[in-house]
Amino acid sequence: MSSSYLLRRTGYGLLLMLGVVVLNFLLIRLAPGDPAVVIAGEMGGATEEMLESIREEYGLNKPVLTQLAIYVGNVLQGNLGESFFFNQPVSKLIADRIGPTILLVITAQLMSIALGVFLGVIAARKPNGAMSAFVSVFATIGYAVPVFWTGIMLIILFASSFPIFPVEGMQSVKLRDAAWYVQTIDILHHLVLPAFTLAIIYLAQYARLSRASMLEVLGSDYIRTARAKGASEKSVLFKHALRNAALPILTVAGLQFGNLISGALLVETVFNWPGMGRLAFDSILRRDYPTIMGVLFFASAMVVIANILTDISYRWADPRLRGRS
Amino acid sequence: MSALLAIEDLRVTFNTRYGQVTALDGVSLHVNAGETLGVVGESGCGKSITALATMGLIPMPPGRIAGGSIRLEGEELVGAAPARMRGLRGADIAMIFQEPMTSLNPVFTVGAQIAEAIMLHQKVSPDQAFKDAIALLDRVGIPSPDARARDYPHQLSGGMRQRVMIAMAVSCRPKVLIADEPTTALDVTVQAQIFDLLNEIQRDFGAAIILITHDMGAISEMADRVAVMYAGRVIEEAQADDVLDFPQHPYARGLIDCIPALGREDHALREIPGVVPPLHLLGAGCAFADRCEHTNARCKTEKPLLAAHGHHPAACHAVEEGRI
Repeated sequence: MSSSYLLRRTGYGLLLMLGVVVLNFLLIRLAPGDPAVVIAGEMGGATEEMLESIREEYGLNKPVLTQLAIYVGNVLQGNLGESFFFNQPVSKLIADRIGPTILLVITAQLMSIALGVFLGVIAARKPNGAMSAFVSVFATIGYAVPVFWTGIMLIILFASSFPIFPVEGMQSVKLRDAAWYVQTIDILHHLVLPAFTLAIIYLAQYARLSRASMLEVLGSDYIRTARAKGASEKSVLFKHALRNAALPILTVAGLQFGNLISGALLVETVFNWPGMGRLAFDSILRRDYPTIMGVLFFASAMVVIANILTDISYRWADPRLRGRS
Repeated sequence: MSALLAIEDLRVTFNTRYGQVTALDGVSLHVNAGETLGVVGESGCGKSITALATMGLIPMPPGRIAGGSIRLEGEELVGAAPARMRGLRGADIAMIFQEPMTSLNPVFTVGAQIAEAIMLHQKVSPDQAFKDAIALLDRVGIPSPDARARDYPHQLSGGMRQRVMIAMAVSCRPKVLIADEPTTALDVTVQAQIFDLLNEIQRDFGAAIILITHDMGAISEMADRVAVMYAGRVIEEAQADDVLDFPQHPYARGLIDCIPALGREDHALREIPGVVPPLHLLGAGCAFADRCEHTNARCKTEKPLLAAHGHHPAACHAVEEGRI
């Protein structure tokens, strides 16, 4: 892989981020609601003078385009502004919460790809078998069920009937001072339900996609060649076929990353997971413009990075794409 | 002397949406060590199914071997354990396919794909297998084999890929090499090179070759003996020269007539009228009856059997009755 390709790809990514910043800013200003009213409400009642002074303090009385120029200038200097509500720098708010979100999103992504592809491959072995039928039904259900409903059902199931997994938060309060490995296990224990909830919808998609992709690949000439040289069925499936079937799966995995982050917002809210999703949810309710924009900025950065990584891995997986731009 | 590979009365059926069809209806063929058997016929006559059945690669279901036997040096392959067939495939019986463009796995280097075939059947280290693969690439006439071994299939031309397929097929010195239309997808000039290579390989490795083709020119260049197939049956079988010079069955005559010849007066390309009938519509009579100018009432009701009536064995009532 040429480094000039990487450089160009990163350049495009940065331009895209700038576009996202401008668009986010304008979209949020278009939405109804006045942050000054909300802030004043938090302070307990508001007079017109008070609202004016709040607008003055936060720069909300300037023309929108001036506000945009100031904001973009600040972002370029690495300053995402102060939260209207928390009275803290937005970057600090996000820094405190981005770790749990990344942990949740990546765990869900890996879980859904690994399980989904495995189910899909098994199903493709016997396209008319029981496993294949199960994958199809499971995929349809998994895709159709809203993520917050799955989450609430799991909470009901594991809070009352089988209380083996914690249904709320990321850590047990009483273990905050325990040894690091105890804390790690505790966090993983808390991670199970939210990650599974987030994974299930994508897991179903990957299962369907890998089943279809594997079926197509298994009918190709080079699979017959592999069998003709005496390769075992396991090698035919997991070496010769899966490497080729993985290409469309990789594409979808990259594209899904954005959806996964917006899914995380819901899951974090349902499970009270202390990540960026909760922060986004709270700041939308409070018209906390700088925080919303900061969260969106980081979410879009994660999507852009995920897309670049997808591109790179696609080139790694498919030699036909190497050396092309 | 018993043949190296003997196929006896092989019957293969497929379940299709038209019901069960008989793809091979009692095919018998044999090939001796060092010999080249040409199998000719139009698309859909059962040539490739015969080859796949021999390799144990008929997809089952929907396919089924309904009867007959395939013996390699006396060992029965019909109903052999899958593990035994895996051990034979690529080692004792190898196959070259029609489409070099799609028969190699696009995500592995050609060297690795040949090395894999070697390692499946021989106890050698990966390094040694890769070295052997390079030597094989050299043997099949690929220039700078060292560099080419590290290339992916898309970086090679069709002719080069077919050479790679041949290198892979002969990597374990198979006793029987099945070449299923190995040159159909290639340029005419490249075709000649591939045939030369197959001849050389046969000389060096002593393999029996089953050459499946619909190209009579390829037969005259390569084959010692020829079996003509039509609609799942062998309808004529003899030494290559006999079939080429004295074709008996009207279908074989038609195939030979289709060869464009220099110096022939009429310049129009000849053809056999009609197409191979769909297998599910085959009736009781001769499958060629509808396309044949010598058809009589018997041809429509009774299947002719392969027997020596004229110059050499053919399955035709008209030949038997001396009408042609």
